[in-house]
Amino acid sequence: MGSRLIPSNFVKNVMQNGIGRYICQLQRVTIEFCKSNGSSRGTRDFIENYLLDFAKSNPGIVMYLRPRRHKHPHLRAEYLNGYKESIPVANMSKDEVAQWLGILRGRTGVQIVRLRKPWHTDNPSIQGIWHPFMFKDPSINSKPFPKKLPAYKSDKMSATEYVLQLKQEQLKITN
Amino acid sequence: MATIRCMRLMHCMQNLLLLPRKTVNICPVFHRSYRRGLRRYLKELYQRRLKAGPEPERHPSQLGIWNHDAELFAFGKRFGEEFDENLLKRAFVQRNYIIKEENKRKELGIDLITVPLGLVDNEDLARKGEEIASRYIKAYLRYSYPHMFEEGICAVHDFLMSHQTLLHIGMNIGLRELIMSAEYPPPEQAYILTFKAVIGALAVSQNVERAEVFVKDIIIPQLIGKDINELWEIVNPMGLLKAMLASEGRGPPEPRLLWHSASATVMSLYHVGLYSDKELIGKSPGETVTIAEEMAARNALKHLMQTTDSRAPLTLGAKAVKIKLDYDKKNRSIRDLLNETVEERLYGTEI
Repeated sequence: MGSRLIPSNFVKNVMQNGIGRYICQLQRVTIEFCKSNGSSRGTRDFIENYLLDFAKSNPGIVMYLRPRRHKHPHLRAEYLNGYKESIPVANMSKDEVAQWLGILRGRTGVQIVRLRKPWHTDNPSIQGIWHPFMFKDPSINSKPFPKKLPAYKSDKMSATEYVLQLKQEQLKITN
Repeated sequence: MATIRCMRLMHCMQNLLLLPRKTVNICPVFHRSYRRGLRRYLKELYQRRLKAGPEPERHPSQLGIWNHDAELFAFGKRFGEEFDENLLKRAFVQRNYIIKEENKRKELGIDLITVPLGLVDNEDLARKGEEIASRYIKAYLRYSYPHMFEEGICAVHDFLMSHQTLLHIGMNIGLRELIMSAEYPPPEQAYILTFKAVIGALAVSQNVERAEVFVKDIIIPQLIGKDINELWEIVNPMGLLKAMLASEGRGPPEPRLLWHSASATVMSLYHVGLYSDKELIGKSPGETVTIAEEMAARNALKHLMQTTDSRAPLTLGAKAVKIKLDYDKKNRSIRDLLNETVEERLYGTEI
């Protein structure tokens, strides 16, 4: 798959977040897990040990727990712009689950695509873009056109000069 | 493989339950051969799905994953604001939701007088919020662009309070699930009304200053990356420039062709400069001399109003905490300017 086919974009900031105040873009997390299955072991540990602290330190994120019998555990995240993301966390330890949740919390909710540039600006230049007249002095507009045109100077004698020279020599001899 | 697994499962169950084989009610599905009809079946399902259209969007409460109180609590906390719970609830209630609920009760035969619905719509709060936002935005813009004309300030304000801008904000602060509207997903107007009502609810819950800070942090940053000169359309820039220069006692603008290139082609370029009292006040390129002259007048106005691209950025974030706004002050309007210049022409500059 060529790089042209992979979706790409520039770095984006959702709704100029953080310029006025920072709003955490993650609004809702549903932790789906099984109460008995082994693959949910780490997720259950996470819920027992870390979940309350996480919810307390992030009051803007609503946490839902959803036991799903005999299913692998998932973190289902919803962002303020309506984007939904699901992370399968089967067989992960509680710390790994916490790390994934941290990643979800820090995101803007814009889909992850290849970035064409690590920076972006809407105003590439505040001075105005360069153009051929930029640093030209307008005073040279009023200069008169030179009367005598510059001519090419060669170190060798031209044919015209040679003929003229012959003519002059001929005149000298006749005089 | 599937067949063997099913058979083994059946035998295991029979052994485990220690029951006679005939009484066990297990019917494994056997596929001994290639399922010839499967492809056709799936194709039919696919066609039926296409015919039926996509599944209608359902509110998370219909899926059983919804805690309204927790969502309301988180909504306030997300912005770091303390809302009064009842006011915040009211901010999300649309008029058509109340009508729908009342009709539902009527159909069920519940008397609305003995058992009132107890819901108030958000229109009062929205009106209050709009008033606060509008007043603050104008004062803030006058503070940021003191030399811009009042008409320009109003045009930038109209952009910030436009349907498009408020809808963009409303759709990006998580109102979608919280709005109580007759239909889901809510219509565009509901997002705008609710966002305004949230500002109003904040003003009533805390105070107007707090709501104004909210407006400054959420609405004003939408100006970033926008050219405010593009937001305000000046019909006759040269006329305005003449009046401005006349009111300042400067000479009238004189256009001069600075440069031109490729004149006889489709790529022609003229660079016109405007001079007042032999001083360059603006210059701009254009496809024809007339266009270049008009653009040069716009450029000169930009310099006079101090709204060039190289102006200082808007005061936002931590720096904006200390700014003091004068709500009564208004910038000079074009009408005042024209009146002044007419008076000067009539009575001379001494008056």
